[in-house]
Amino acid sequence: MLKYMVRRVLEAIPTLLGVTVISFIMIHIVPGSPVRILLGNHYTLERAAVLSKELGLNKPLWMQYFIWLGNLLRGNFGFSYVYNKPVAHLVLQALPHTLIIVVASILVAHLFAVFLGSVQAYYQDSMFDQVATVINYLFYSMPSFWLGVLLIIVFSIDLHWLPSGGIVSSQIANPGFGDWLRHLILPVCSLFMISVAGWARYMRSSMRESLLQDYVRTARMKGANEFRVVFVHALRNSILPLITLFGLSLPALLAGALFIEEIFNYPGMGLLYWNAVNSRDYPIIMGITVFLGIVTVLGNLVADILYGIVDPRIQYR
Amino acid sequence: MPNILDVESLNVEFNINGTYYPAVHDVSFHINPGETVGLVGESGCGKSVTSLALVRLLPKSARVNGEVLYEGRNLLTLADGEMRKIRGDGIGMIFQEPMTSLNPVYKIGAQISETLLLHRDISAKEAFAQSVDMLKKVGIPRPEEIMDEHPHQLSGGMRQRVMIAIAMACNPHLLIADEPTTALDVTIQAQILELMREISNEFGTSILLITHDLGVVAEMCHRVVVMYAGQIVEQGTVDDLFFNPQHPYTRGLLNAIPKIDARSKQRLQPIEGNVPSLTRMPKGCRFSPRCPHVMDQCKVQSPELFEVENIHFSRCWMNEKKEI
Ligand SMILES: Nc1ncnc2c1ncn2[C@@H]1O[C@H](COP(=O)(O)OP(=O)(O)OP(=O)(O)O)[C@@H](O)[C@H]1O
Ligand SMILES: [Mg+2]
Repeated sequence: MLKYMVRRVLEAIPTLLGVTVISFIMIHIVPGSPVRILLGNHYTLERAAVLSKELGLNKPLWMQYFIWLGNLLRGNFGFSYVYNKPVAHLVLQALPHTLIIVVASILVAHLFAVFLGSVQAYYQDSMFDQVATVINYLFYSMPSFWLGVLLIIVFSIDLHWLPSGGIVSSQIANPGFGDWLRHLILPVCSLFMISVAGWARYMRSSMRESLLQDYVRTARMKGANEFRVVFVHALRNSILPLITLFGLSLPALLAGALFIEEIFNYPGMGLLYWNAVNSRDYPIIMGITVFLGIVTVLGNLVADILYGIVDPRIQYR
Repeated sequence: MPNILDVESLNVEFNINGTYYPAVHDVSFHINPGETVGLVGESGCGKSVTSLALVRLLPKSARVNGEVLYEGRNLLTLADGEMRKIRGDGIGMIFQEPMTSLNPVYKIGAQISETLLLHRDISAKEAFAQSVDMLKKVGIPRPEEIMDEHPHQLSGGMRQRVMIAIAMACNPHLLIADEPTTALDVTIQAQILELMREISNEFGTSILLITHDLGVVAEMCHRVVVMYAGQIVEQGTVDDLFFNPQHPYTRGLLNAIPKIDARSKQRLQPIEGNVPSLTRMPKGCRFSPRCPHVMDQCKVQSPELFEVENIHFSRCWMNEKKEI
């Protein structure tokens, strides 16, 4: 098992390197240079040349990459051009905010989706199932940022019920826990509803299939009640395909969080990334890219291990 | 003492694209305490549908009519909760598919204990101990280790033994075994049948043994019910059936058994044709299209079950004449 995990991590290294190379090239191809943005109105050719040299941007691209990689291997993610702070520091500062959104929406969403999909599959083609399917489909086809904007329009601008962005209110002198929570509701809801919709669809079809299996009949023949049949016997078999899917969709989930943070002006990693892209703050972009790559690899690994725990037929080699 | 099981004009229809087609038609039979009754017929005759109807495990597309009296209580009108108390406790069932009937993600031990925990007021520890005993009884070597294994680690024969252990865990009065050995190879078949016979003798369990193998019937059963296209066509003791078969279908089945008789050079004669599908039931006697003795009357009018002699019935017009 340990050997398997080590092997998987080692295997992921070339992929991660590839991702960094591609990102590195892409951000340099995109028009607009950090030097121009940093200097703004003070831009002159001489100042630009000095700053370029200072930031190491005058060297050939491949050399810049290897310098960056060398620093990375020594644990140095570099300095942000704009904030003039270590990238690692900025990322760690933003991370808890993102984690809260991701955990609150995505994990809870998955638990709820598993439940909803199961109930839908059990009451297959009933009125409830049909209504839920239509609603799921609606949210599933909705981009998360679109839903985010919609929620802001309805609940902040029209109804004035909830704040439209930030983590706490700036007008209040001592914003408390309740205020913080109120700021979480809309971003979490936008992510929650969209993940529930997608996952409930998978869960429904997976559960439908499980409920037709022979072991379900055996469970009923033992005298198990329907709740036990669905949530003990069929459920554990039904979530197997979803676990793999979870690992695969992790990057998409994080990308969704990125848009949501931008819309709600929520100072997590998404917003940090977004601002970095706009100001061509290369070290932050690269730092977060590496971070996301590692999270994706680890997420897939966790999914694999979970799969093995749920399905005893899997063996790690 | 009432019969363990009394089935009175059981009808099952399936909804296929909005129309109901009968899969089981007017089936009546009974099982005495301690008795083993065989239910035979070719593939697709409605044996499994009949057995699943008894315990109300048919899919929602099925419509069931009639009476299924288990120890005097009609299972078809029982509340769901009451029915669940009987399943696994009073009635145990073994299915045709040993490879897929166990839940792949749970340990054997948990799957056997579950039946006990659902019906008996005992601790998990006691249930575990009783499950180990049950595994021993069904002839599983190193039962303690097997308790900790998962279904995919066991062979088909072992899995079917586990299924028997699950079905027998609560000492049911009635065991329904739907082709318990069809999926297994011949030596394992013999062992499983022997095991079922021992269990029946030891606990006085009544058995409804579903099979299409008349050899198994001869070995195991007291009485036999022969089904064809959803109807009972002949019913009687094992001796009646083997030595005095009345219905041409029963005779056909008997002719299709290989005989270990060096002198008879006779070839096996399988019955020509196929069991009709639900949507294409022939008019009149359902066996008439395949019957070697078919008469004009057979093609228009369906015969009823005629009593040939004491507790020996046959659904054939030829048996009516004898009665007059
Ligand atoms: N859920 C269902 N919906 C529609 N028709 C069904 C359904 N289940 C069974 N049938 C039909 O009912 C008939 C009887 O099937 P059944 O499974 O009882 O046969 P069987 O005698 O058990 O055969 P086998 O020896 O192959 O197990 C078949 O024609 C089958 O196609
Ligand atoms: Mg069958």
